[in-house]
Amino acid sequence: MFKVLKGVGGERAFKGATVSALALLTIFLVGIVVSVLTYTDWNTFVSAILSEEILFAIRLSLSTATVATIISILIAVPVAYAISQTEFPGKNIVDSMLDLPIVISPIALGAVLLVFFNTQIGGGIDNNIMKFVFAVPGIILAQIIVISALAIRLLKSTFDSIDPRYEQVGRTLGCSKPEVFFRVTLPLAKDGLIASAILTWARAVGEFGATVTLAGATAMKTETLPTAIFLSLATADIEKAIAVILVLIIIAVVALLAIRKIIGRRYPL
Amino acid sequence: MIEIKNLSTNLGDFCLEDINLTIDDREYFVILGPNGAGKTVLIECIAGLHRIKHGEIWVDKNQITHLTPEERNIGYVPQDYVLFPFLNVAENIAFGLRQTKYSKAEVQERVKNLANLLGVSYLLNRGIRSLSGGEKQRVALARSLALTPKILLLDEPLSALDLQTAKYLRSDLRHLHKELGVTTLHITHNQIEAEEMADRIGILDKGRLEQVGRPDEIFFYPQSEIVSDFIGTPNILECEHCRTLGQGLTEVKSSGLPIIIPHEGNTVRRIALFPRDIYISETKPPGPQVNRFKGTITNIKTSGATVRLKVKVGGNTLQAEMPRDIFEDMDLTVGKEVFLILKLRRIRVFEGQDSG
Repeated sequence: MFKVLKGVGGERAFKGATVSALALLTIFLVGIVVSVLTYTDWNTFVSAILSEEILFAIRLSLSTATVATIISILIAVPVAYAISQTEFPGKNIVDSMLDLPIVISPIALGAVLLVFFNTQIGGGIDNNIMKFVFAVPGIILAQIIVISALAIRLLKSTFDSIDPRYEQVGRTLGCSKPEVFFRVTLPLAKDGLIASAILTWARAVGEFGATVTLAGATAMKTETLPTAIFLSLATADIEKAIAVILVLIIIAVVALLAIRKIIGRRYPL
Repeated sequence: MIEIKNLSTNLGDFCLEDINLTIDDREYFVILGPNGAGKTVLIECIAGLHRIKHGEIWVDKNQITHLTPEERNIGYVPQDYVLFPFLNVAENIAFGLRQTKYSKAEVQERVKNLANLLGVSYLLNRGIRSLSGGEKQRVALARSLALTPKILLLDEPLSALDLQTAKYLRSDLRHLHKELGVTTLHITHNQIEAEEMADRIGILDKGRLEQVGRPDEIFFYPQSEIVSDFIGTPNILECEHCRTLGQGLTEVKSSGLPIIIPHEGNTVRRIALFPRDIYISETKPPGPQVNRFKGTITNIKTSGATVRLKVKVGGNTLQAEMPRDIFEDMDLTVGKEVFLILKLRRIRVFEGQDSG
């Protein structure tokens, strides 16, 4: 078969095939967005979005995702740095373990957390220290579990791409190891840090499986944007569901554009 | 003064074997060796960037073997400068000073002085990415000198620069060394660079320090075949007669052959001519017949892209070298009469006492 495709004709056919695949996928994605947009009229959309319930969901989603992102990045920075810069026996195994939350279904992670809070230790924490099950902190915890692995992966590749000689030169210029981390490595990782924070934040806003399993889906209490879609569909309120979907699409587009911009101006290392 | 005692270490493919070396105060010492000889590993050990397996490093009677890099006060300029891309030129130079007790005004003053010294004052507010190779090298030098280190380590400081820039920086480096008196260890694979810059040279090959000496000692008395091969096996001619001509020129005679050399002053005992600095012509070259001799080819040997020829001139047999493609364009055979042209500026002179 490849013999037939030799020469200019083959080149054109190959290019045609790949570009068609790209075009089909783009048309499909744009098509479904347009179909959602045309499903509802503007007035219904505005009134749905300004309803108390949806405004609550927007506020709750944005605030929990922000808190979860800050905590995840604070965890991910030292973890990713250690994995990137330190050699120790069993490093590959630890590295793979850290990826588990990325590949395991979020609902399974949520269920694992729910089971943990039913054990003696977990129950003690839930009852005496902070309420997680079916409560707002549960949303944040579920999001952290899902997104911190992603943050670690992204930051590790950022730290991997930094030439260790920057730190070495910093050391010869009188910096101790912690000083050189804050004065050299973090500034070099700045773009990667911002990009990871945006990506993990966007992922946290969209998180549903783990959140709904641990924090439940109580309207006006633990109702995040994805939960709102779920609840609206469950009550066959399609207009409301579409309003929330559009909010999520807008958040996603803004996040992707911001990342493009940041990666575009990254330092050539 | 730097003293390295029985230093051995290995790092990936590179190793150092039992290095013993003393570098004097204010000396400009050049480590010369081919790629992969372990030169960079050696200066990184001195800078404290690698833990060493065996041996000790002392600076001015203090052992620094187990100190961290920041405790050593050693200036280090890596091969591709490694300037911080998120800081501008002034901030790069000031980087090391921010850890110190200096006030903001003092830091600014110091940065200004260093920038003046290295001729980069006009760049202070520029970003790193817009700098040329030579400018980056000067900024990296200024940054490494900011903390007034006792020792300066330069890793191939000129190899990434174009010829013209390297030439300027070479003389600037010598000048800077003279002015600041900082003990300098410079590593390079470039023999001409080593010869021009060094007070003393150490030849490093496959992790072993083969020979240490003044440039003329190395060229006239290579102590091993490795050194001799690496520097290019020069023709060494004994001089029986020596007459100063003035204007920086001297005439010497070797087995009756009158050779003009770039030298003035003491009696010349030997001269060295590198095979690559002897040109061969089939026809008599025009112009004044200075350092041009008629000879007979006695041997032709091809090795890779170069051809080595032995030519008998009077009582001497000189080894010459030429690229293979040029050799093939000429009609050279054993027994043929040819003309030799000696490149005046590249004749090395030995006037000291015999040492080897």
